[in-house]
Amino acid sequence: MDKRLQKIAAIEIVVLLAIWQVLASLEWIPAYLSSPYVVGREMWALLISGDLFTNAASSLYRSLISFLLVMVLGIVFGIVSGFFKPIGTFFQPIVDVLNPVPKIALLPILMVWFGISDTTRILLIFLTAFFPCFIATKDGVHGVKQVFVWAAENMGASKLQILWKVVLPASLPKIFDGLRVSLGLTFVMMFSSEMIGSSNGLGLGFMILLADMAGRTDLMFVSVFFIALLGFLFDRILLAVRARLLWWSENRG
Amino acid sequence: MENMTPAIEIEKLGKVYTRGKEEVTAIQEISLKIPEGKFVSIVGPSGCGKSTFLHIVGGFIPKSSGKVRIRGKEVDKPGPDRGMMFQESALFPWKNVFDNVAWGLEIQGMEKSKRDEIVEHYLKLVNLWDFRKNLPSELSGGMKQRISLARVLAFNPDVLLMDEPFGALDAQTREKMQVELQRIWQESNKSVMFVTHDIDEAVFLSDIVVVFSGRPAVVKEIIEIDFQRPRTLDVHKTQEFMDIRNHIWDLLHQNQGSSDEEGM
Repeated sequence: MDKRLQKIAAIEIVVLLAIWQVLASLEWIPAYLSSPYVVGREMWALLISGDLFTNAASSLYRSLISFLLVMVLGIVFGIVSGFFKPIGTFFQPIVDVLNPVPKIALLPILMVWFGISDTTRILLIFLTAFFPCFIATKDGVHGVKQVFVWAAENMGASKLQILWKVVLPASLPKIFDGLRVSLGLTFVMMFSSEMIGSSNGLGLGFMILLADMAGRTDLMFVSVFFIALLGFLFDRILLAVRARLLWWSENRG
Repeated sequence: MENMTPAIEIEKLGKVYTRGKEEVTAIQEISLKIPEGKFVSIVGPSGCGKSTFLHIVGGFIPKSSGKVRIRGKEVDKPGPDRGMMFQESALFPWKNVFDNVAWGLEIQGMEKSKRDEIVEHYLKLVNLWDFRKNLPSELSGGMKQRISLARVLAFNPDVLLMDEPFGALDAQTREKMQVELQRIWQESNKSVMFVTHDIDEAVFLSDIVVVFSGRPAVVKEIIEIDFQRPRTLDVHKTQEFMDIRNHIWDLLHQNQGSSDEEGM
């Protein structure tokens, strides 16, 4: 992003916070909407005590494990399904049926199997975030120019070498598009999956649940804000990795 | 003795496609021998299956019948004994020019020092050594095809297969590339099978021009061309050149048939 846009973004956020503060101070908005000052004060307190970090760590552990699974399985599975037609055809109906199902609907079943546990949460996040990565990867493989594969075969490359050294790099731009959607969903589902309760009493989503029960909207805002911050941060990390790996591509930014 | 075995021998090659319930014969039955060290062009009306034919020789598309032999050895899969140059650039956009040319050698497990030497040799042969650090996307169409040629030559195939490699270039670049190709070919001494729809290009470059009929393809005529080498572009102006050219033109425009479908 260029400097000017960054400035505009910063000003925008400051102005919005100011309006919120003014409205809250004048008591023109109900008390349950809290105010930036109160939210900031609570956030500071939670930062000092370290509670925010232990909660965030618990949430991040769940979502990052899920995202790692999505990355590995989504890419491997997507490439294999895209490259070997019979495998792709075999899995297509399963994917077509499962993809549009809101995975949160599977929660009761998962809870019967695994209880209110991290396994349930990680599975739920994984199931949601898997499909965008898988589908984008498979599409990416289908989009690989036939002449790339032919040229590699011509030079005596094996199937495995073609997959690893031609198909994977050639579909990488598409794969990153999918990963970005998956990462966003990972954070959405991290949040939702913790609203069912937390086995260790930790998690940013669980914080919201607790705050809600205690009628502490200020704490809810702290949690929402922190989730937004983490989501933003990890998106930037992903973009940086993409720029690094796709230095050769026109759509690296 | 070794001159007895042709570089490429095609025996009764046929190709039938199944389109829905219909069977379409793309190539009727073609037998062809390409002697060692010769430059052979294949011309034919568009959609006649000449490109399909070359892809079959390269092993990229399965044939329906017949045999392909490279220096006496039967082949039906792609392999480094036949270096294929495609119409569209097949350079890997994520590798720079040097690494693209080195790719095939690396796959074959050649040690780095030897690899680097070969890559340098061929990049200098095509006059693009100065661009070794560039990405393919930073090069012009003509440069990309020269790099492709260097990449193919680098893994030292027995024969070169070229599928309208200059088809996407403008007329002037094209002529320059033809002169370049002649020079590089003469230095490398490879047998070449070159597919084109451009009669002038075929006559200018070739020792032998094979004329295909419209779909289904059969060999209509084989024409030997013996202008002295190296040829200059001036050869276009000679009466003999124009006679050959006109003769091929007539062959291509006789009973063109219903070959309205685009080929590969």
